[in-house]
Amino acid sequence: MNTHGTSHSTGPRKESLFKRYENLTVLSIFVSFVVIVVALQLITTGGSRFPTFISPVNIFNILQQVAVPGIIAVSMTMVMISGGIDLSVGMLASLVSIVVALGISQWGLGVGPAILLGVISAVILETMMGFIISRTRIEPFIITLGGMISFQGIALLLCNSREVVMKGELSFLTANLLGGVKDPVTGLDLRMPPYVLLFFAIALIGGLTLKFTKFGRRIYAVGTNQRAAFLSGIDVKNMRLAVYVIQGLLVGIGATLLLARINTGIITLGQNLEIDTIAMVVIGGTALSGGRGNIVGTLIGVLFLGSIANAMNMLRLPSEVQFLAKGLVVVIAVSAGDISSRISEFRALKRDQADAQAAAAERMKGGSAQGGAQSDIQNSSA
Amino acid sequence: MDEILRLSHISKTFPGVRALQDISFDLRRGEVHCLCGENGAGKSTLIKILSGAYQPDEGGRIFFNGAEVSLTPRTALEMGIHTIYQEHIVFDALDITENIFVGAEIARWGIPQRKEMREQTERVLRYLKSDLSPDMKMSDLTSGQQKIVEIAKALVFRSNVIILDEPTASFSSQEIETVLDIVKTLKEDGIGIIYISHHLDEVFEVGDRATVIRDGRKVSTYPIAGLSKSTLIKDMVGRDPSTFYKREHTPRGDVALEVRNVTGNGVRDISFKLHRGEVLGIAGMVGSGRSELMELLFGAAPLVYGDILIDGRSVRHKSPKDAIRNKMCFITEDRQNTGLFLTKTIAENVAVANMVNTREFVVRPADEFAVGEKYRKLLNIKAPDARTRAVNLSGGNQQKVVLGKWFNTGGEVFIFDEPSHGVDVGSKQEIYKVMVDLLKEEKAILMVSSDMPEVISMSDRVLVFRRGEIAGELIGEKITEENILTLSIGGTIE
Repeated sequence: MNTHGTSHSTGPRKESLFKRYENLTVLSIFVSFVVIVVALQLITTGGSRFPTFISPVNIFNILQQVAVPGIIAVSMTMVMISGGIDLSVGMLASLVSIVVALGISQWGLGVGPAILLGVISAVILETMMGFIISRTRIEPFIITLGGMISFQGIALLLCNSREVVMKGELSFLTANLLGGVKDPVTGLDLRMPPYVLLFFAIALIGGLTLKFTKFGRRIYAVGTNQRAAFLSGIDVKNMRLAVYVIQGLLVGIGATLLLARINTGIITLGQNLEIDTIAMVVIGGTALSGGRGNIVGTLIGVLFLGSIANAMNMLRLPSEVQFLAKGLVVVIAVSAGDISSRISEFRALKRDQADAQAAAAERMKGGSAQGGAQSDIQNSSA
Repeated sequence: MDEILRLSHISKTFPGVRALQDISFDLRRGEVHCLCGENGAGKSTLIKILSGAYQPDEGGRIFFNGAEVSLTPRTALEMGIHTIYQEHIVFDALDITENIFVGAEIARWGIPQRKEMREQTERVLRYLKSDLSPDMKMSDLTSGQQKIVEIAKALVFRSNVIILDEPTASFSSQEIETVLDIVKTLKEDGIGIIYISHHLDEVFEVGDRATVIRDGRKVSTYPIAGLSKSTLIKDMVGRDPSTFYKREHTPRGDVALEVRNVTGNGVRDISFKLHRGEVLGIAGMVGSGRSELMELLFGAAPLVYGDILIDGRSVRHKSPKDAIRNKMCFITEDRQNTGLFLTKTIAENVAVANMVNTREFVVRPADEFAVGEKYRKLLNIKAPDARTRAVNLSGGNQQKVVLGKWFNTGGEVFIFDEPSHGVDVGSKQEIYKVMVDLLKEEKAILMVSSDMPEVISMSDRVLVFRRGEIAGELIGEKITEENILTLSIGGTIE
C-alpha cells in the first residue's frame, strides 16, 4: 500500500561487477578449477613436465567428449530460459540412436534417410510434449518425465531390448579433420572430428539467436514474466512450444553423433544425458525459474563439467570420485551466484542503515535546539 | 454495558504513511457493527490490528471484556476473535472437516479423531442451516459456500467476535441472502460482529451501528435505526481539495473506441463511447468488474458477447497481440506482476510490446538502447542510462518505464488501470502531465481508478461500475465524490 514509502529519491545504485556481467561468477570458479588442477600437476611432477591437463591434445579430447551434451545443452538453455525443463533428452537420444541404427542396418533406408527419420522423430516427440506443456497448466517436469519413461519403452520395443550394431556407416562424422598434425607439447596425434565444429556452430547460432533476434528476446520475456509477456503481445503458448521443437532438432542431431562415436544403437547411449546437460546449463548460470541465462554461460558449464572427469584421470583419482566432484561443482557454482548477490544485498542494507542514521541525526539537529546542542557536544568531544 | 471489545485511541504508522489516527471504537455482544469507508480509508489496517497481525502505535489501548489486552494472532484466536478475510484461505484438496480442523486437529495419542471432528463440523453446519456435508471437497464448493465453511470454522472454535471483511464480494444475490441470514443467527447468539461492506444495502439490512472511517480517522458512529444513506455517504466523502490535480482541458474529437453490449469475464452488457482528447474515468468499488472489462477490451479474456469498434471499425481481439496491432495500450494496475520484466533493462522493457509491429527478425541492441534512452529522457526516468534494470527503479520510475513501453508501440487508445497506484507524489504529477500530453496529441484515455481525487480531477466523464454493470454516468459538475460513491454502492442520484 505504501510502496512509495520505500522508493529511493537518490536514484538507483550502480550494480556490482559480478551482477552486471552475469557469467563472471562461474567463469572465475572455472578458472580457479583449472588453476588448481594445473598447480597440482606441476607439484606432483615437481614442475619438470608441462601440465598435460592443458596440453592441446587433452583439450581436443575434452571437446570431443563434451560436444554432444554441449549441443543438447544449447537447446536446454533455451528451454530453461523460457521457464521449462526437459528430462526426456537422454532417453530420447537413446531412442533416436536406435531408430537410426535400425534404419541403416535393418530397414535398408540408407544413411541419409535414416538420419532424417531419427531427427524427425525426435522433433515430433518433443513437439508433442511442447504442445501439452504450452496448452495446459501441467508442469513441464511431469510431462517430460512421462516422456522420458515412454521413450524408453518405445526404444526397447523397437530394438527388442537388444543392441543394434552397425558396420561403421556413420564414420564420416568421426573422421579426423586434423589428420597428421602433432601436438607440439606431447608429440601425440591431434584429433578433431567434424562434430566438434558443429557443436561450436550450433552454440554460436544459439547464442546469436538468443541475443540478437526477436525470437530470443521473447524467450527471455516469457521466462521472466508470462503474464506481462502475454499482455505485451507475445504469443506465449507458441513461444513455449517453439523451444521444445528446437530441443527435438538438437537432440536428434546429438543422438546421431553419439551413435557415430559408439557405432551401436543401444538404450544406455543417452543414459544420464539429461542430468549432465541440465547440470551444465545451471552451472552456466541459467535459472530454473526462467528468464535468466545465456549461451556463453552454458559453454563455460559444458567445458567445466566436461573437464572434471578428465582432470580426475590426470590426477590419478579413482573415477568414482568424479560423481562427487560433479555434484559439488553444481552446488558450488549455483550457490556462489546466490551468495554473491546476498553479500551485495547485505552491503546495500548496511548503506541504507547508515543513510537512515545520518538522516535521523540531521533531523535531530534541525528539529530541536536541545537535540542540536547534544549532537554538538558529541561532535566536539569526538 | 454488554461491551465485549473496545479500541481506544488507536493509531498506526507505516514508514512515510499514517494509516490510522486516533481511532476509538467499541463492539457489544450480539451487535453487528459496520465499518464504512472508501477504498484505502484504513478499514483493512484496523482489521489487521484486531486480528493481531499489526501492532498499534504506542498509546493505543485495546480492551477485551473490560480487561486491557495486547493482541497477537495467537491471543486473538484464544480470545475468540476470528477474522474472515475477503480472500478465501482454503485448502482446495481437503474436505470441509479437514479445512476446519487443519492445524488444530482433535487427536488422541497423535491419532486424529476424524469421527469427532466430523460430528462437530456437522453440528455447526446444521446450526447455520446449511445443507453442506462435512465430507465435501473444498474445491467443489462455490465461493459463497466456502465463506460458510469459514464462518463454521470460527464457530467450531467458539467465537466471541467475528470480523467479516467484504463477505459478499462477487457473490450471487442468493448467496448474499444466505450470508446475511447467518449473520443474523450469530447476532442472536450473542456474538459481536464487525461487518465491512461496500454495499450499503447490506449495512442497513443487518447492521445495528455504523462507524465511518475516512483517511485513517474516525468520522462518526451512528445507530442504524433512523439513519439515512445520504448521511452515511456524506461522512465517507469530503477529501482535502489540495489533493486534486488541476488538469488542462483538451478539445474532444471523434469517437476512438466504441463498446457495445460487451459481456464476459464477470461484466454484463457494457456500452459506451470514448472520444479522442478525453479521459473517460471508470470508477467503482474494488471487484466491481472494472479491470475485468479492460482485460476483455484488450483481448486478455474471452469476449462472450458484444462488439468493440476502434475508429468506427469493428475489431476482434483474440489476444493482446491483436489489441496492440489495433493501437491499444494497457497500463495494468499491478506493474510488477503484469507490466514489467523486472530483471530486464529499461531498453528491453521499452522494446518488448512494439515487437508485434516490427517485421525485422534481428534485434540490434544499439538501436534498442537508443529507443530506451529516448523514452528515459522523454519521461524523465531517474536512472543512469537505459541499461538499468527495472527492479532497481522506484515505483514511479517503474511506472514510467511501462508508459515508455506503450508509447513505443504508437498506440492511440490508452487504458490506464490505476495510473498512480503506489507512486510518489512527484511522479504522480508527472504521470498526469504525460496523460494530458497524450490528449493533446488526440489520443483517447480510458482510466480505471479507485483514487477519488484522481478520478475527479482527471476525468471528462465518469462511468461508475457496480457488480459488473454500469451503475451510471457522470459528466462535468456531476462528477463528485458523493455521486460516485452513491452510484457505486447501489444508490441513485436525482
